[in-house]
Amino acid sequence: MELTREIYWNVGHGSTTLVPMYILTLTAVVVLLRVFVVRIKIYKQGKPVERFDQRSVRIIAMLKAVLLQSKVIRVKGPGLAHGLFFWSFFLLFLGTCLIVVQADFTDLFFGIKFLKGNFYLLFSVVLDLAGLVAIAMLGGLLARRYIVRPEGLESKPDDVIMHGLLFAILISGFVIEGARMAVTEMGTSLAFWSPVGLVFAKVLAGYGEETLRSLHSTTWWFHLLLVMAFIVAIPFTKFKHIFTTSFNSLFADLGPTGKLVSLDLEDEEVESFGASKITDLTWKDIFDTDACTQCKRCQDRCPAHNTDKPLSPMKLINQLGEVAFNNPEESLLEACEKDAIWSCTTCRACQDICPAAIEHVNKIVDMRRNLVLMEGEFPGEEVMSAMENTEVNGNPLGIGYASRGEWAEGLGVKTLAEDPEVDILYFVGCYASFDQRNIKIATAFIKLCQAAGIKVGILGKEEKCCGEPMRKMGNEYLYQTLAAENIELIKGYGVKQIVTSCPHCFNTLDKDYRDLDFDIPVLNYTVYLQQLLQNGQLKLKSEELSCTYHDSCYLGRHNNIYDAPRQLIEAAGGKIVEMDKIRSEAFCCSAGGGRIMAEESIGSRINIKRVEMAVETGAPTLLSNCPFCLTMFEDGVKGADVEGKLIARDISEILLERL
Amino acid sequence: MKILVCIKQVPDMESKFKIAGDATWYDSGDLAWRMNEYDEYAVEQAVQLKSQVGDADLTVLCIGPQRVQETMKKALAMGCDRGVHIADDEPFKKDPFEIASIIAEFATDKKFDMIFTGMQSQDRGSAQVGILVAELLNIPSISTVVDFAFADGKVSAKRELEGGIKALVSCATPALVTCQLGMNTPRYPTLPNIMKAKRKELLSFPAADLLKVEGKQETAKVYFPEKKGGGLVLEGAAGDLADQLIQILKEKTAVLA
Repeated sequence: MELTREIYWNVGHGSTTLVPMYILTLTAVVVLLRVFVVRIKIYKQGKPVERFDQRSVRIIAMLKAVLLQSKVIRVKGPGLAHGLFFWSFFLLFLGTCLIVVQADFTDLFFGIKFLKGNFYLLFSVVLDLAGLVAIAMLGGLLARRYIVRPEGLESKPDDVIMHGLLFAILISGFVIEGARMAVTEMGTSLAFWSPVGLVFAKVLAGYGEETLRSLHSTTWWFHLLLVMAFIVAIPFTKFKHIFTTSFNSLFADLGPTGKLVSLDLEDEEVESFGASKITDLTWKDIFDTDACTQCKRCQDRCPAHNTDKPLSPMKLINQLGEVAFNNPEESLLEACEKDAIWSCTTCRACQDICPAAIEHVNKIVDMRRNLVLMEGEFPGEEVMSAMENTEVNGNPLGIGYASRGEWAEGLGVKTLAEDPEVDILYFVGCYASFDQRNIKIATAFIKLCQAAGIKVGILGKEEKCCGEPMRKMGNEYLYQTLAAENIELIKGYGVKQIVTSCPHCFNTLDKDYRDLDFDIPVLNYTVYLQQLLQNGQLKLKSEELSCTYHDSCYLGRHNNIYDAPRQLIEAAGGKIVEMDKIRSEAFCCSAGGGRIMAEESIGSRINIKRVEMAVETGAPTLLSNCPFCLTMFEDGVKGADVEGKLIARDISEILLERL
Repeated sequence: MKILVCIKQVPDMESKFKIAGDATWYDSGDLAWRMNEYDEYAVEQAVQLKSQVGDADLTVLCIGPQRVQETMKKALAMGCDRGVHIADDEPFKKDPFEIASIIAEFATDKKFDMIFTGMQSQDRGSAQVGILVAELLNIPSISTVVDFAFADGKVSAKRELEGGIKALVSCATPALVTCQLGMNTPRYPTLPNIMKAKRKELLSFPAADLLKVEGKQETAKVYFPEKKGGGLVLEGAAGDLADQLIQILKEKTAVLA
C-alpha cells in the first residue's frame, strides 16, 4: 500500500467543501485584519519613534524571540510549557499549510503530491505527537491558572475562551483523525505512525462505517468553525499577543540598554515636557500596552511591588493601555497614580524579563519628567531639597562644593587643574566624595591604582554630580545642566580614559553623555581593575573569604557586567555563596531611579529584604560594587537586625587588603 | 496691585567660611550662592498673592554684585514679573539702614501696595532691613509672619512669638511683612517658567544712584568664637564605653566623689 492518506477524505474536495471553507476562512481573516487596522489607529495616537531601522537585526531578534521562544522559556515551568505548546501548535499550523499547499495547489494544478512515502510517515507522527504535547501543555497551564493559582496571576473571561477554544480545536482534530483511521487504517502499519489517532480510532472502532463517516464529517466542519472562531477571536482576546508580542520584538529598543531619550529643552516650539497625556507617549509605548500578556513576570520581580508599594509594572502598562484604548483624554498621572510612578527604582528587572519586549522604565521616567518639569512636583520635600542642593553645590547631599576633593588629601593624588597629565581620570561621584563610608572606597581605588603603577587624576572641587539621580527622578533640566558643565570641564583637560567607582556615574557618562557630544572612553572600576589584574599590573595575594555578592542594577542589568566583579573576588580568594536572585534576576537595593534622594515611606524596606536574602546564604560578608548599594546595605544590616552576622563591603576594600 | 519682594543672595550655609582679610566680613572665595532662605518664603507668598488677586505686577529687588542676577532668575522663574538689580560689588560694607534706605528710595514713588521681605538674612541676620524700609516709607510692617492672608485691602497675618505662642495681627495696605521660615512651601520652578524667566525684564541700577544717607553703625570685627572644649564621641562596645565614661567622670568631675 502507498504510504499516504486521502486529503479531504469523506468531506470531499468539490466546490461544496472548498467554497464554504474558503469563504469562511477569508471572512475570518478579513475580520482579523479590520480589527487590527482599527487598533493601528490607536497606536498612531503616539508620537513618532524610529523602530524600522536596522531591519535585519530586528528580524533576527523577532525570529529568535518567536520561533525559539527565547525570552518565554527563561522562566522554567510555565515558560517551558508555553514554549512546548507554541512549538506544537506551530507544527500543527505548518502541517495544515502543507495540506493546503498540496491539495489546493501543487496537486490541483500540477498533479504533484509530496505527502507520501517516508515524508508522510514523518509528517503523520510529528503532527500526531505535536497534538498530544499541545494538549498536555495546555492542560498543565490550565491547572496552573485555575487550580494552583500563583499569586498575582489574574484570570479573566479571555482566559476561559482561549483555553476552551484551543482544547476544542485539538481534541476535535483527534476525533476527526480517529474516525478516519477507524474506517481506513485499522490493521495497517500506517496506523502506528499516528499513535494518538490510533487510540481514538480504537475507541471509535466499534461503530459502523456509516456512523463514523457521519461523525467524521460533522466534526470536520465543527473543527473548521472552531478554527475560524479562533482567528476571529485573535484581535478581541489576549490571543492578539500572537501578533502584537511578536511584532513588539521586531520593534524592540536596540539599545544601548536602558538609555533614555534626551529631551531638547531649548526647543521653543515645545510647550509640554514629559508624558501626561497618551499622545505624549510614542506609538511604540502604546503598542507595548497591546503586547502585554499579563504573565506578571515583571510584577514578580519588581522590588517596589515586592515590598508593598503601589507599583506593578504590569498594571501600569495595562492602565496606560486602558487610557489609550478607552479613555484617551484621561491624565496618565491619574491613571497610573503618582505614588506608583515615584516608587520605581529603574532597576530594569521588569524590562529584562519581559517576554513581550515591553519598555516600562522609560514610560515611568517620562511621566516623572512631566511631574517635575511641568508641575514642580516630587515624591517628597526631601527630594526637592536634594535637587536644590545639587543646583547650589553640585551634590544632592548639600555639602559645600569646595570640600569635594578633600577626601583625597594625603593620598598623593592631584586634580587635573594641578596636573592634567594622567593615565586615567577617576570620576569620583558624590557619595565617594562626601559620604564617610564611601570615601573608603574612593581611597581604596586610588591605592589599588597606585599599586598597579597607574597615575590617577581627579577633578576635585570642579567635579559635579553626574546628574543620574536627578535625571531618573525626572529632572532632565538639572541633569543636562550638570552634564554640560562636567563635559566641558573634562574635555578641556584632554582626558583619554575615565574610570568610575559608581555604576550610576558609569552608566551616565558612558551612555547618557553620548547624546551631548562626549566620546571619551569610560570604564567601571571592576572592569578596569580586572584588566590590570589580567595584564599583571595589579598583583593580589589570595586570602580566603566567604562572601556573597550583590549585582547592582546599573552594573548588571543595565550594563551586562556580571563576570568581572566575580573574577576579582575570586582572584582575591573570595568564595562566593550566591544568593537566589543574582545576575539578571538580582533584587534591587532600593536606591536606583533617584530613590537614593527619597525617603522610602510606603510599604516595607527594599534594602532590608535584600540584606535578608544575603543573610540566608550564611556568608558573613555582603560584597557589592556601588556606593548606593553599600549605603543601603549598611542601613539594611541595622534594619534587619543582623549586625554581627553580616558586614556590607565594597569589592575594592577586600582587594586593598590583599595588595 | 503692585507688589515688591526684596531678596538677598547669601552663601550656602554648608560652605566653609573663612574670615576676610580686614576681619569685617567673610571671604567670598569657594562659596556657593543661593537665595536667602527666608526670602524664598517671601517670594512664594508674593507669587501666591499675585495669583490670588489676578491683576498684579510683581517686582523682585536684589542688591549685590553681578552674580546676584542668578538668584534673581530663580525668583523670576518662581513667578515674579520683573527684576530690579541694584548693583553693588560690596553690599556687605553697607549697614542695614543704608540697605533699607536704598530700597525705600527705589520704592518711594512706585506706590507698592504690598512689600515682602525675609525676616532676616542668613549671613548678617540683623532682621532690620524690612522693618526699616517700612518705617522709611511710613507704612505699617508686621514681622516674623508665619501665615499670611489678604482680603478687601486688608492684611491678616499670624506672627510667631516665643514659647509657641502665635499672634494675629492685621493692617491696611500698603504694608510690609517680614517672612519667617515655614510660612508656606516655596515652589520648585517649572521648566517653562525657567525658560520664560530668561526673557523677563531685569533692570540694573548702580547702588550709588539710590544711596542718599550715611550708615549708622560699623562692624568692628567678624570672627569665629574661640574653641572652649568640645564634644567627645566615645566609640566601642557597650562595656568599654561604660568604663571609659566612668574614667572620664572620675578624672574631670566630682560627681562620683
